[in-house]
Amino acid sequence: MKSIFTILFFVAMTTFFYGVACPQNADNSSNDLDIDLDLDFDIEEVEKKPYSINADIELEEAIRFLDSDALLFKQKYLDTKKSDTFWQTDINFTIEGQYEWDKIKLYGRFNSLIYYNKDVSWESERKAEEAYITFQPSVSLAVDAGKKVHKWGKGYAFSPSAFFARPKDIDDPDATLEGYNSLSADYIKSMEGVIKTFAITPILMPVTRHINDELGLENELIWGAKFYFFTFDTDIDLMFQVSKNLNNQIGIDFSKNLNPSFEIHGEAALVKDNTKYIIDEFGNTSEQEDTAFNFLLGLRYLSEMETTYILEYYHNGEGYTADEYENYLEFIERGYNQYLNTSSMASISKSKKYASSYNQQAAMRDYIYLKISQKDPFDILYFTPAIIFIYNIDDQSASITPQLTYSPITNLTLDLKAGFLLGNSKTEYAEKINNAKIVFSMKYYF
Amino acid sequence: MKKIIIIALLSLFYLMAVPSITAFALDGNKILKQVDRNLNPESFEMYRKLINIEPDGTKKEFVMFSIKKGKNKIASIFLSPASEKGRSTLRIGENMWLYIPNVGRPLRITSLQSVTGGVFNNSDIMRVDYSAEYNCEKIETTKKGHTLYLKAKIKNVAYETVNMFIDSEKLLPHKIECYAASGMLIKNLYFKNIKDFGDGVVRPAIIETDSPLYKGYKSYIVFAKVKKRELADEIFSLNYMNKIDGLR
Repeated sequence: MKSIFTILFFVAMTTFFYGVACPQNADNSSNDLDIDLDLDFDIEEVEKKPYSINADIELEEAIRFLDSDALLFKQKYLDTKKSDTFWQTDINFTIEGQYEWDKIKLYGRFNSLIYYNKDVSWESERKAEEAYITFQPSVSLAVDAGKKVHKWGKGYAFSPSAFFARPKDIDDPDATLEGYNSLSADYIKSMEGVIKTFAITPILMPVTRHINDELGLENELIWGAKFYFFTFDTDIDLMFQVSKNLNNQIGIDFSKNLNPSFEIHGEAALVKDNTKYIIDEFGNTSEQEDTAFNFLLGLRYLSEMETTYILEYYHNGEGYTADEYENYLEFIERGYNQYLNTSSMASISKSKKYASSYNQQAAMRDYIYLKISQKDPFDILYFTPAIIFIYNIDDQSASITPQLTYSPITNLTLDLKAGFLLGNSKTEYAEKINNAKIVFSMKYYF
Repeated sequence: MKKIIIIALLSLFYLMAVPSITAFALDGNKILKQVDRNLNPESFEMYRKLINIEPDGTKKEFVMFSIKKGKNKIASIFLSPASEKGRSTLRIGENMWLYIPNVGRPLRITSLQSVTGGVFNNSDIMRVDYSAEYNCEKIETTKKGHTLYLKAKIKNVAYETVNMFIDSEKLLPHKIECYAASGMLIKNLYFKNIKDFGDGVVRPAIIETDSPLYKGYKSYIVFAKVKKRELADEIFSLNYMNKIDGLR
């Protein structure tokens, strides 16, 4: 099976590079084009129907180069697996549809993932990412009920003020997220004066055994709101989240263009009574309760050569210090040695209880994110090479991801990226399960 | 003798001064405002097809529904192709945003970027009134029509100077040259196929563009169903960007 995927993978890669390197006789420049322009424009898209359906299918092949010396590898596999490459094939199908009737709109987006790897063979997952009803009595007011994504904040890679959303994947910040069940509204008011636009977005998010149960609470009502102001050519949001058992949070964000090619943005959030679960190198555990302060400062810059730079500094006040993280890794190392010497898995099992905190993305305090992308280089239209750096300031470990994206024909996107993790021993990125990965994907929209 | 000399000098001065006095008498900014109104009503909706053509003839097409209000507010939503469907853009004066359904929130973009790729940048696609961005510094009149020499009066513009060649009878542009602050020609826009869209809207139905920066590439905007429409200010806000399709 693996050899079939190897062949498929290299055929796909060859096609990708051929398409990029030979963009259909790009040097054949003729200005005398025979163009048949549709002046009457009576095309399908103009005639609105009450319903619409769209879908996309994505085939992804990922190779992960496992690092058997890494401590998180040892934590997960002990000595049951040797350093190897790990192949996974994903077939991802998403369908979205909407139906409009007068002031009411029904919307749904559903995802089905089928994947194969040699550990689990074929598996599948299905989920409704969004499914909600909108009632819009006027242009100023809309009410949404159902499963909906509420993405707040201005950060590209990190969003400390996205209180009602699932965390972003730093490796793919633009990826679609799954929503939560909620009741929300949007009220917009345009004005003359210093504040040009004001909007308020209140949200009620109930938690029961059957609704939003992944939040781990029972019969809880989480509520909050976002207040938006457009003033002095600047977007400003103030937001808060209140609940009985979750941490209460308040936040602010802004974004502004300083000139046509330079944008700045920022976010800050205070998380009240944040509890940090700590385990030291001997396995002693403790809880630290404090008000955490998270913030982000970022910029986007577009150069004359059409190179885009996205730079963000993120301070995660809820994160672990370099010493705390190193202690956790040392405890895993002790646990692994204990297992080798005595076959006891007690310490490794104990460390796994803390994995959801320590092993999550951006688990430490201070990060720098930099993405540099070049639009249409070498006169190849719809081709965007990019490189992404994520640097952990606290332990000087890093992730580097070169990426090539190409859309050779309408509705088809090819994407090839390779990720490399760097750092000294007992640092966040150096101790991840794999030390490199290559991911190739083809996505077709219809 | 003195009288003869004075009369001769005055006559000479008059003969030299007449062309410039005529040109000076024309108010370039007034003409520019009229060109804006002739290109589109103050508040209106339209459909546009953007066509990017590569040197080998490969075409990529985008269809958008757009609404504009006042001098400097415009919002659009992509209707096709499927990969772009649901993306919307908003411009209020010098501020531009892009909403991508997958991303789920508006992002600020700049006038020099291009949401579609190709020769047209965001400033061309989200065009507001020229008089909202430019002052006419000089006007020249020939048999072919007027040439307005425009200079940016705000900082966030894609082109520092613009030369607009207009038909003096119809007061519609037939060519626009766009220059960077360095004086480099960035692109030419050609306005073609004047069409009666009804309700007094008569304007070019096609804008063609080429650029010395994209040799062999061409892009077109084809206009359809341009019609007057009253629009609330609230439509031109970030919170409304994912609801623009509901206005069709």
